[in-house]
Amino acid sequence: MVMNHFEYFAPRTPAETLELLGRFGSKAKILAGGTDLMILMKNRAIQPECVIDINQVQDFRTIMCEPGQGAVIGTNVKLAEIQFSEALQAKYPALSYAAGEVGSAQVRHMASLGGNTCNASPAAETPTPLAALGTKVVLSSQSGDRELPLEQFITGVRQLGLNEGEMLTRFILPEPAPRSACRYAYMGRRDAMEIDSVNMAVNLELQPDGETIRNIKLVMGSVYPRPLVSQEVPALLNGQRLIDELIETAAAAAQGEAKPIDDIRATAEYRREIVKVLARRLIQETYAAAKGV
Amino acid sequence: MSQKDTGSKWNLTPQGWNLEGVPAYQDQTRYTQVGRSVPRVDAPAKVKGEAVYTGDMTLPGMAYGKIKRSPYAHAILKKIDISKAQELPGVLAVLTGAEAPNRWGIVPQTANETVLALDKVRFYGEGVAAVAAIDEETAEEALDLIEVEYEPLPVLLDPFESMERAHEVLIHEDSPGNIMHQGEQVYGDVDKAFSECAYVLEREFHTNYPQHGFLEPHTALASYDPQSGQMHVWSSTQVPHYLHRQLSIVLEIPMNKIRVTLPTIGGGFGGKGEASSAEFAACLLSRKIGRPVRVTYERSEVFYTNKGRHPAHMKLKMGLDQDGYIKAVDFDNTMDKGAYSGWGVVVLFYTASMMHLPYKVPNVRFRGRSVYTNKPSTGAMRGLGGVQPRFAMECLLDELAEMMGVSPYELKMKNAIESGHTAVNNMFVPHSEYKKCLQTAVEKSGYLEKRGRLPFGKGIGMAGGYYISGTAYTLYQNYKPHTSVMIRVDTEAGVTLFCAAADIGQGSNTVMAQMAAEELGVFYEDVHVQAGDTEIGAFDLGSFASRLTYASGAAIKMACVEINQKLKETAAGMLGVRADQLVIKKREIYSMYETKKRLPWEKAVEAYTSINGSLVGLGNFSPPRRKGIDMISGNRVQGANIGHSPTYGFSCQVHEVEVDVETGRIYVKKVTEAGDCGTPVNPMSVEGQVEGSILFNIGGCLYEDQKLDASGKHLNPNFHDYKMPTMMEMPEMDTNIVESYDPTAPFGVKETGEGAVQPTFPALVNAIYDAIGVRFYSLPITPEMILKALKEKKEKEG
Ligand SMILES: Cc1cc2nc3c(=O)[nH]c(=O)nc-3n(C[C@H](O)[C@H](O)[C@H](O)COP(=O)(O)OP(=O)(O)OC[C@H]3O[C@@H](n4cnc5c(N)ncnc54)[C@H](O)[C@@H]3O)c2cc1C
Repeated sequence: MVMNHFEYFAPRTPAETLELLGRFGSKAKILAGGTDLMILMKNRAIQPECVIDINQVQDFRTIMCEPGQGAVIGTNVKLAEIQFSEALQAKYPALSYAAGEVGSAQVRHMASLGGNTCNASPAAETPTPLAALGTKVVLSSQSGDRELPLEQFITGVRQLGLNEGEMLTRFILPEPAPRSACRYAYMGRRDAMEIDSVNMAVNLELQPDGETIRNIKLVMGSVYPRPLVSQEVPALLNGQRLIDELIETAAAAAQGEAKPIDDIRATAEYRREIVKVLARRLIQETYAAAKGV
Repeated sequence: MSQKDTGSKWNLTPQGWNLEGVPAYQDQTRYTQVGRSVPRVDAPAKVKGEAVYTGDMTLPGMAYGKIKRSPYAHAILKKIDISKAQELPGVLAVLTGAEAPNRWGIVPQTANETVLALDKVRFYGEGVAAVAAIDEETAEEALDLIEVEYEPLPVLLDPFESMERAHEVLIHEDSPGNIMHQGEQVYGDVDKAFSECAYVLEREFHTNYPQHGFLEPHTALASYDPQSGQMHVWSSTQVPHYLHRQLSIVLEIPMNKIRVTLPTIGGGFGGKGEASSAEFAACLLSRKIGRPVRVTYERSEVFYTNKGRHPAHMKLKMGLDQDGYIKAVDFDNTMDKGAYSGWGVVVLFYTASMMHLPYKVPNVRFRGRSVYTNKPSTGAMRGLGGVQPRFAMECLLDELAEMMGVSPYELKMKNAIESGHTAVNNMFVPHSEYKKCLQTAVEKSGYLEKRGRLPFGKGIGMAGGYYISGTAYTLYQNYKPHTSVMIRVDTEAGVTLFCAAADIGQGSNTVMAQMAAEELGVFYEDVHVQAGDTEIGAFDLGSFASRLTYASGAAIKMACVEINQKLKETAAGMLGVRADQLVIKKREIYSMYETKKRLPWEKAVEAYTSINGSLVGLGNFSPPRRKGIDMISGNRVQGANIGHSPTYGFSCQVHEVEVDVETGRIYVKKVTEAGDCGTPVNPMSVEGQVEGSILFNIGGCLYEDQKLDASGKHLNPNFHDYKMPTMMEMPEMDTNIVESYDPTAPFGVKETGEGAVQPTFPALVNAIYDAIGVRFYSLPITPEMILKALKEKKEKEG
């Protein structure tokens, strides 16, 4: 399929990028890895008048991950870099793992973290662990920056809380709390090139006793128009020691919150079933990891 | 030139192959080039990305062709207005169906396809017009400007609904009941045999709707020369000859004015085993504008027009006597034909023939029908006609074994055929190591120790199978040789083999070079192969029915007779020994009695050609013409000429699975396979074919299914949503080539390209049963089906 004609820009700095965005607004599309954008354009699902290629902008390609200071990840950091970064692997194994489960090696070397979020697909791999980790996105325009929790930034299927002339420039990840762990899991038909039928991340922090849950955040993907943060799981588990019955209750609660749909990949009924299985397995796994066993 | 040792166990001569008491120099099985694991001749170029596929080609002045496709699966074509498209600058020609109304089809008796729809469309995405333009963009734009008026008709997607509603709507006016073809075959007295059986079971089986999944989409480049009237077509096809014939019919040009050339082919698996509209449209447009035209399909177009595997709705009944010997089989098969006939009749009767092997079955009845629906036409797909009935038969045998309280292995061994078997339909098996396949796979996998003893969720299952090594007949009434080979020997090119055979990635060019080298006494590396061109190569029917190794092997042997004789005569004079006492091996000619009398092979070539010029040998192969008759009554049986083959390959697979009983996902952990492919000409290639075959049908069994909505529109016409297994799903494989030599076959060869797909469905289904105690009769088996079945089982038990 042949794409429509468009104007092409390749700015070299964030300022140039924002200036172009200010000029073209919603007529422009940002090109990072292009692994989503190009497909939509070739299918003529979208026909932007102008494309702003951000691959020359070095500032969007950096990872800052110092001990004790969380991490800041530029929007155009490639998923393969996140998969293989030793600093990120050590601090945010759930994110590195999720990044490594996207598509294929070829896709991961082109696809960016920002693109995965901005594509706003409910089945996307990385927004789920990012949300569980308490990530904030930085949205920039010529008039300045603002920050938003990731789960508030993605508002629906292919919908973002972006203003005219604004773009995502970086992700801010808080430093993981002591005695905490975050884990990610997904379900699909096969183990590569797979769009998940359900994915999930759990971030769990223990109290100083090393047994009682201080804080748990469970986020589900592919079962709601955007990453779905469970309200009931923390209500059930915060302040509790984990026993088998509680795990079952919590898993059932997550299952009740999920609002999946039927599609070509799986039925809603199956997805709901999987939410329960993944929740049970992930809560157990994350709890054990936080305890350091 | 030295022969590299690749460390394969098949390299050189395994001791056991030396026939008792026969001196080594007379032992025909003592091969040096056949049995070598050599990398494919085409491998380096492919790995480096240098191989040229049709879609990579451009010719000076070339235009781009595109096809306008129907958004309806069934509709009357009321009007096509091409005027706006014609006016678009850059558009060179617009083509409609009326300009090429001749019907084509690989089976001439039922040919009913046209290049573009004439008065009606019968499946979603059927072509209604085609455009040639100066670039792809303009061609696409022009498609949008073609205005088509349709009158939608009811869409029939299920063969049973199609038969039921035939009074209301016919897909083809000349096919009452919407039935493309139906038939019955009866051998022996089936009802009487059943009445005498101790164990009888009947089950229904349903198979799914996978397609081939080759990487290179259909593409064709045609160049018509208005001065000479010559048409040259480069195409991604596996049947250059049948394409050649169809082009002649549709274009109304004699075959000698058409040349078909195959550049590198990116897979076929049967999906390029018929002509496609890409080829016709490219030719017709090129003739219209007098410039070369290339048509390359998008992946979605491959899905819309794919000729994938027939979904089959089968009822199978089998009866055993007290001791477990099969007495009778009753098989009823309803096949989903899709929109056009294609290979239909052939596939229908192949499924019938599959009842007769690899077990001894004295009484057989078959009733079958192939039914039109508004889907892409189903056609040939790896293991054509075999995969569906093999699934049914091998699963039913497992159930019968359970009924008898014996292991499926015991039951299958007991009934397995042996060399020299004639089936009740007159199919003759000159040679079989099927029992050795069963035994090897079962022993190596520990099947007998593991079956029924693994923890819940883990299981092991086995199944056997066979396939033809070529057919007895061409698809049109002609008894000419199926393959011809010409070999030229001279001091300029060395050895060159000319044959129009199609190497579609299966490696035929490599094994042809190995067999020619063997027969001429030179090295594989010395042989150049000129294949895949109807003008350069001698005649070949095409790559289907796992026929090429056997057929080309026989033709090569014949072609070499004269060459070797002439070279021996020349050498005899030079050495002063009798020509009939000379042996040619490893580029040397020597006396079998006085081994010091020897000279380099090329010296003899030089001596011969300096007097006579190039040395040429011709050879051909015609399969035995066996008739399909009922061996009891002697009567001819309709459709029973289908299934005969010069020889047959056999194999057995044991699958070990793990089922995640909470998510329903099935993990195939290990496959132990044993195959009788006759002599493995290239063992490395055999391993590749076998591993590929197994993963191919793991795909069909667990993952792949084309989905259409109620209007016949595709829901997954891309590799994102149509899920094939990836390397991550590849199980551990233990493939074994059992020792086998068919003395009636050239070099003792059989087949391995399609036989190895046969046991996969039933072995997997049997393994899943062993793991969770649930038997599946419909494919593909999805995680959702597993969870549902487990839930039902729990409810029943609890
Ligand atoms: C074969 C294949 C397999 C895939 N498998 C998976 C998978 O398993 N899991 C998964 O989650 N995804 C998968 N994807 C989807 C895709 O690769 C990912 O979503 C990827 O992260 C997108 O990143 P990108 O840099 O390529 O985005 P692009 O295509 O460049 O951009 C995507 C969208 O986001 C917008 N955008 C990009 N950056 C910004 C920004 N900074 N600010 C504002 N808007 C922006 C673009 O304009 C565009 O609309 C797959 C894709 C392919 C082709």
